[in-house]
Amino acid sequence: MNVLIQLGWFFKQRKKQYTIGVAALVLVSILQLLPPKILGYIVDGITKGTLTGNQLTKWLVILAVAGIAMYGFRNLWRVMIFGSSIVLARTIRKQLFDHFLKMSPAFYQKRRVGNLMAHATNDVSAVQQTAGMGVLTLFDSISTGGFVILTMALTINWKLTLIALIPIPIMIVLTSFYGKLLRRHFRTAQESFSSMNDKTQESISGVKVIKTFGQQKEDIEDFRQLSDEVVEKNMRVARVDALFDPTIGGIFAISSIISFIFGARFIIAGDMSVGDMVAFSTYLGLLTWPMLAFGFLFNIVERGNASYTRIRELLSVDPEVVDVEGAIDERPKGDLAVDIDTFTFPGDPKPALSDVHFTLSQGETLGIVGKTGSGKTAILKLLLREFDDYDGVISYGGHSIHQYKQQRLRESIGYVPQDHFLFSTTLAENIAFTNPMAPSEEIHHAARLAHIHDDIAGFSEGYRTIVGERGVSLSGGQKQRISIARALLMQPELLILDDSLSAVDAKTEEAILRSLKETRSGETTIITSHRLSAIQHAHQIIVMDEGTISESGTHSELMAQNGSYKEMYDLQQLEASVEQGGEA
Amino acid sequence: MAEVKQTKLSARGQWEVFVRLLKYLKPHTVSISIALLLLALTITGSIVSPLLIQSFIDNHLVTLDFGRAGIIRLLVAYVAIQVTVVVISYFQSLRFQKIALKIIQQIRIDAFTKVQGLGMRYFDKTPAGAIVSRVTNDTEAIKEMFVSVVVTFLQAIFGIIGVYIALFSLDARLALYSMVLLPIFLILISVYRHYSADFYQDIRERLSQLNGKISESLSGMGMIQAFRQEKRLADEFESINDGHYRAGVRNIKFDSILLGPFIDLLYAAAVVCTLAYFGFTSLSTAVDVGVIYAFTTLLSRLFQPVQQVMNRMSIFQQALVSASRVFTLIDEPDMEPVQQAERDAKITEGTIIFDGVTFSYDGKTDVLKDISFTANAGETVALVGHTGSGKSSIINLLMRFYEYEHGSISIDGRSLKSYPMEELRDKVGLVLQDPFMFYGDVESNIRLHNESMTSEEVRAASEFVQANKFIEQLEGDYAHKVMERGATLSSGQRQLIAFARTMAVDPKILVLDEATANIDTETEIAIQASLQKMRKGRTTIAIAHRLSTIQDAELILVLHKGEIAERGTHQQLLSMKGLYYKMYQLQNGQTA
Repeated sequence: MNVLIQLGWFFKQRKKQYTIGVAALVLVSILQLLPPKILGYIVDGITKGTLTGNQLTKWLVILAVAGIAMYGFRNLWRVMIFGSSIVLARTIRKQLFDHFLKMSPAFYQKRRVGNLMAHATNDVSAVQQTAGMGVLTLFDSISTGGFVILTMALTINWKLTLIALIPIPIMIVLTSFYGKLLRRHFRTAQESFSSMNDKTQESISGVKVIKTFGQQKEDIEDFRQLSDEVVEKNMRVARVDALFDPTIGGIFAISSIISFIFGARFIIAGDMSVGDMVAFSTYLGLLTWPMLAFGFLFNIVERGNASYTRIRELLSVDPEVVDVEGAIDERPKGDLAVDIDTFTFPGDPKPALSDVHFTLSQGETLGIVGKTGSGKTAILKLLLREFDDYDGVISYGGHSIHQYKQQRLRESIGYVPQDHFLFSTTLAENIAFTNPMAPSEEIHHAARLAHIHDDIAGFSEGYRTIVGERGVSLSGGQKQRISIARALLMQPELLILDDSLSAVDAKTEEAILRSLKETRSGETTIITSHRLSAIQHAHQIIVMDEGTISESGTHSELMAQNGSYKEMYDLQQLEASVEQGGEA
Repeated sequence: MAEVKQTKLSARGQWEVFVRLLKYLKPHTVSISIALLLLALTITGSIVSPLLIQSFIDNHLVTLDFGRAGIIRLLVAYVAIQVTVVVISYFQSLRFQKIALKIIQQIRIDAFTKVQGLGMRYFDKTPAGAIVSRVTNDTEAIKEMFVSVVVTFLQAIFGIIGVYIALFSLDARLALYSMVLLPIFLILISVYRHYSADFYQDIRERLSQLNGKISESLSGMGMIQAFRQEKRLADEFESINDGHYRAGVRNIKFDSILLGPFIDLLYAAAVVCTLAYFGFTSLSTAVDVGVIYAFTTLLSRLFQPVQQVMNRMSIFQQALVSASRVFTLIDEPDMEPVQQAERDAKITEGTIIFDGVTFSYDGKTDVLKDISFTANAGETVALVGHTGSGKSSIINLLMRFYEYEHGSISIDGRSLKSYPMEELRDKVGLVLQDPFMFYGDVESNIRLHNESMTSEEVRAASEFVQANKFIEQLEGDYAHKVMERGATLSSGQRQLIAFARTMAVDPKILVLDEATANIDTETEIAIQASLQKMRKGRTTIAIAHRLSTIQDAELILVLHKGEIAERGTHQQLLSMKGLYYKMYQLQNGQTA
């Protein structure tokens, strides 16, 4: 029930709808008392021979009116209550989405996308159920159940009512218990389904290996076993699921039997008429749903409770990187000075960076090289303010980057990440990501600079080509160049290429670097790369090793040092020439 | 998903799919007959009980005749029927569930088996996610149909027939009148089906759009934030969220007009008519009140199944769409190449001859043109050339991943096509450039599904390729857990495990696609050393990126745009001073 209190803000917001909905619900439960009653009167009228045509017509008209009114009210409460519940779903989804947009990378490092998706889908729908089905079952079981029992007790026979109700609590307890059991089995069934899913995924991804080793038969056998398990686990669900109907039917049969046995006694004693008995037994039938609903209620609310708790927990996480008070509200530009003493990723035992100090004047290009895990990307992450918690200062245009508004800082940085990410929309929109209204000349210009224009022009749909899951598949190099075009379109003061030329061939890389040099002479560029050809013309090169700078200087200075840079360079020259040789 | 998503079927298409689904019932004929019998019994029971009560009312309550024998007979009958109904209905519903689950399992296995037999061409053009979806999610949707729809429909049909039999036994005339309900039900169901199909379709699409947006935004959050597009994304999301909401509201409105409340309204009308009939009849002739009770009770049993059928209409339609997708997969004609196997064909020496092989993936551009060469038993043929030169295509043909039509490939003098597939798989070992790891442990990744392989053999193979050194350092060594796609292992380690996997089956012919991934120098040396050992005594076809690793090859083929540009040994090629010579010079750091 906790969740209903926690959702109080929403019920208040939708007070009108819920009031109308509940009122309609109550009216329906009152109106549906009429038919059995009238049935009873007519039966009595017939047995006693007192029924007249006028009387009968009157009853029938009342019945018809009640039927139509109930239709209206049933309609009304559905729209009001179920309608509100989808408003709630929409609201929570929006809250979650807005919240996700505010969260720092550290938040995403700790959580998997699949997991967050589960919150935005399953948990939201469980809460929606609570605000719809939950509210319905709560009020319906109380009002219908209450009114029916009251009518039976007050207008027919209270003793018979009590007697007839004896088995009902057993039913509530049993169905509620089944519900719990059902959910537990359902979870294991779900797990077996997802392991079958994983298996299929793996077999398809590894199809070449399976074919190579001629293991199709064995693999199918493996799949058969997993599917056996799915059947077995689902049968467990079925064994509980199949209990509901017989239990309810059985209990109501017991109620019927004892009410007829005792009803007969009351009729003999003259306390009741036959019509009363018929009405009574019809009322008993009306109790099925509210009693059942009562059992459902607990399960719905329990699920809603767990889900809403998870959603609230998620919403209560504060963004880790926030603007300081009185933050500078202008786009930073100028020299960059990096003075990092130590930085450790949250949760890591070892620092990712230690003693990284360098300055970069406006208009210069910096190259950062080093092995995977040497700390190249970590420096960039700090520059982008993905993490704020480190010893040292990074200043940009004379101020610490912490003093700028995040939005302003980001405005001046064009970042091309390692793992290029394209949205499933047109190429034009992917490039014009920062400015959807950008004129097409600007988009084409950026694409030309990134040397992707010709590729795009080659697609039948040109810039309107849709990429991503539902669209064309691009090569890694094409994706990288689109990411570069995206960053270039915003004409950033600081351009960061995080190993984003790795899938581009040597010639194209050279061409891109050349056009960058020509168009960005006054602006700053940082390039990290495995391949030294990408950075050898930089004004300044730093070599990262285990989180710290091991060598630095220009290309010729580093070559002269005869250290690890030269070693890498020589090795790569060799490798590159093979590729070129093939094309010669 | 690149393929066009099929979302609607024509009426005819629906019917065909439905009939095809029903064919899956065939192996379960006995079980289904039993289930149907049980279903008939429970429905008879539930219809007889109001009749018993009717007889109790008319013969005992109204007449106040409470003779013991009669009452006890009625009571015993009632209790017996109720107990039977409770017990039987449990087993009946269980049996239906079991049949449904078994059918779905069969469809799944059929689909999976089919997938295993498909040619690589199919995998090239279909995203893995889509295939997985066919085998698991779509079949799950069909399960819903068998579990809830078919049973509900059957119950409805049986129930309605039963109710009418009872009604006729009570009052033939009124029962005849109430037959008018049947066309009303049919019209209602078909009107509902017609409109709800579109509404549900719409809301489903919007939901998948909504979830797609969330999922994509979460994956691309880094980009969104770095480029400050939070506001725009929030707006875009809001408009999708609103659209989904509006579709939801429309659905609720539609359902409340036609679904539950409407059925209740119809029932109310039926009750009014029944009471009018009996009431006005009673004014002139005598009427049994028990019959009135029984009639109204039975009528309500007529409406329940109709409502349930309508409730499940959308599941039914969704299931048909899913089923048609699964059947499209099962009917996919793009099978893997077929062998014209001769049973006695055995690979003993391992001499491979390519003769005039021309091949194209798409039937338009030839990626291999007139390729001829001979790899003698135990010798190494190296394939050299840049990306797209056709090196991998040669391997693909030799592995029978794709069918070739022009030219011939033979091993030991017999056509490649004449060997049983098992023989080829046993004797030709392929090491892929990107070694694929399965979820499990190191040992299971070497052994794969080969149960007859001993642990000693697994270890021997690892030692042979010198993978044992790093494996023994892993936690739990051979039992070390391998995550999905071997995420915790380095690419060099994965490569060594893949070597061991191939060596464990001890093939006669070795096909190598040399790894070019970022591997650290130490592993690189280990890998090269292992490769040398593996090639000994085996016919080897190797794709080489580093010329230094294949200098001792008996034959080197330099491929260029699908043709063999140069051929010979290392020394011969060098003396030709052609393409190979140039490449070699460059690799050695000298300018040509």
